[in-house]
Amino acid sequence: MTPLELFLSAAVVLLPLAYLLAAAAYGRVFFTGDRRAERLAPGVLLASLALHLAYLAALTVKLRHFPAATIAEGLSVVALAVGLTYALVEWRGRERSTGFWIVSVIFFVQLLASVLRRPEAAHESEVLRSAVFAAHAFLALMAYAAFVMAAAYGFLFLELYRELKSGLFSLFYDKLPPLEVLERMMAGALHVGWIALTGAVGIGAAWAYRLYGARWASDPIILLTFATWALYGLALLLRRAQRWQGRQTAVVCLAGLCAILVSLVVVNFVVGDFHGFPGAEGS
Amino acid sequence: MSGARASRQDLPLLLVGTDHRSSPLELRERVAYAGEAAEGLLVHLLARPEVGEAALVSTCNRTEAYVEPREDEAAYRAVVELAFATRAPELADQGRLYVKRGRDAAHHLMAVAGGLESMVLGEPEILGQVKQAAALADAVGTSGTLLRRLFRSALKAGSRARAETGISTGAVSLGYATVELAKAVFTRLEEARVLVVGAGETGRMVTRNLLEKGAVRLTVTNRTAARAQEFLAEFPSALSHPYEERVRAVAAADLVVVATGAEEPVLTAGHLEAAMVKRSGRPLLVVDLGVPRNVDPAAARLGNVFLHHIDSLETLIQRNLKRRREEVPRVEEILEEELDLLLAWYRGMEAEPVIARLQKQAERVRRQEVSAVLGQFPAETHEQLDRLTRSLVRTILHHPSKRLRNGNGEEMLPHLALVTELFQLDEEEG
Repeated sequence: MTPLELFLSAAVVLLPLAYLLAAAAYGRVFFTGDRRAERLAPGVLLASLALHLAYLAALTVKLRHFPAATIAEGLSVVALAVGLTYALVEWRGRERSTGFWIVSVIFFVQLLASVLRRPEAAHESEVLRSAVFAAHAFLALMAYAAFVMAAAYGFLFLELYRELKSGLFSLFYDKLPPLEVLERMMAGALHVGWIALTGAVGIGAAWAYRLYGARWASDPIILLTFATWALYGLALLLRRAQRWQGRQTAVVCLAGLCAILVSLVVVNFVVGDFHGFPGAEGS
Repeated sequence: MSGARASRQDLPLLLVGTDHRSSPLELRERVAYAGEAAEGLLVHLLARPEVGEAALVSTCNRTEAYVEPREDEAAYRAVVELAFATRAPELADQGRLYVKRGRDAAHHLMAVAGGLESMVLGEPEILGQVKQAAALADAVGTSGTLLRRLFRSALKAGSRARAETGISTGAVSLGYATVELAKAVFTRLEEARVLVVGAGETGRMVTRNLLEKGAVRLTVTNRTAARAQEFLAEFPSALSHPYEERVRAVAAADLVVVATGAEEPVLTAGHLEAAMVKRSGRPLLVVDLGVPRNVDPAAARLGNVFLHHIDSLETLIQRNLKRRREEVPRVEEILEEELDLLLAWYRGMEAEPVIARLQKQAERVRRQEVSAVLGQFPAETHEQLDRLTRSLVRTILHHPSKRLRNGNGEEMLPHLALVTELFQLDEEEG
């Protein structure tokens, strides 16, 4: 085993543990207000993100393309994107109250990525090295990262909504930003995610049609992506038409993410890679 | 007269006072001092030979005189006579005055500054009032080294208690509880449109708190125009809205405070449902302070309507008070730390005379010895010799002096006695 392979094998185990540690530190901040944990938590998260960046860089070297060809690789990139986005939000807003929930989601996504991981082998496919693939993968992963953020803020929105409705004021009432802020963050992430997914679907569909003809439409990931795009699009449309309020949007964000994750796991065991176009190699 | 006697090494401090726990309002208001009356009392206290320094903390809930007594019993009698007996003799007769000395008195002032002695635990205003008391004694010239340091320590303890613990967090009044709820829903109170339904005293009280915390967009609606005008006179920035069209005003508001004397709901679930249709999904916070309730409880079921009545606000207040009570041990730790620092400072002051005598004696011996041998050295080296011996004495005494100054409280006293005896400093002084 080469040092690179050794590092990849170790990092894939260490990454969920590092995020778990960061989530524990943020959890202590949220539940107890511990000042030491408040100073420690961002450091643990940054160290985890640095390890994650190193892992994906090493994977890129090993695979000789951006690591987004399999579901495990894609999930790992999504986890990193969410982590970097949250770190930026926290740094700008000095707001750590949502850290526990976001980092917990990152932990879960990376855990899934580590569990679903298969031994990496360098792809020789030209497809994976093309600029169109890079644009398609970047937009798709950005969309999923945004949906993860939207679901996390949606969950927090629902909890605060419930406490404000019932008059049973507890942790969420004490620690979270105002309801309007949570709704704005959730809706903002949903918008970004949907626009990015629209771009990813558009580029991917045109590209796949050129390469594979009509066969691409039967790919399970494509079907899943269209369903996701339609669901989130409907949610945004109903919000714009002022039929839906924050609560309904939050429910869709949570249900949408659960559906995506469950489907990805199922597809991973059935197909293996992101796309399984008949007759297409190295897709 | 009650309270523990100060120990010999304790702070020379006497506190005589009364507060909301020991006296009813009728007595407290008679011994409340403000402005010139407070200055006059301080001047009269200091005019007594048995009082070295004096300061007065006088608020609506307490009147406390802090003095440095030159003669304890006489100082106590002077304070009782000048501050309390002349205005409310019953206070002394009925045992409504508390007396504390030394460390206990200092701890009490710190507890007052920290909000532990307030009627509403942890209320923030008392810190400013203690600051004013210190400034007044300073301005009148009745505080000296001891009381200035005592008040500084108390203010530091009070500030630390608020910064490092949750003793002042969470709303504990109806007005501030409304503000707290609004802050949990809306991004900025400044941007929230507030509608007050009912221009009576309760509505005005909540409005004061909302304005104090940043609300600016204010509308009032009241059944009688005259009461609405009174409201507008107090809050000129507010707009008035016809009472009959209140549902339209609700649709345009974010926070609705309802406080009328009506026997029937003035806002029904139907009213709020109609208003919500026009609100394009924005949340609406409705705080009903009326008894009986002014808003139909069924409105709570409407999506994005957060309806809170007086009982749910009371739940919030009780929860916050409980949390404040849980913070008391942490505040006590801070008070003990500041008290220890104060006592260490005071005991360091006791070491100063001993150190001064030690240095004086060493300097006398140095001069004697240098004079005795000076003739044996060339004249041009005399200055160097003088400088060298001064430096030598200073270096030798540096560590013992530092140790005596910074020594820990009472355990340093035997050392002071030993130094005095070894170097015969008593004889030196004589």
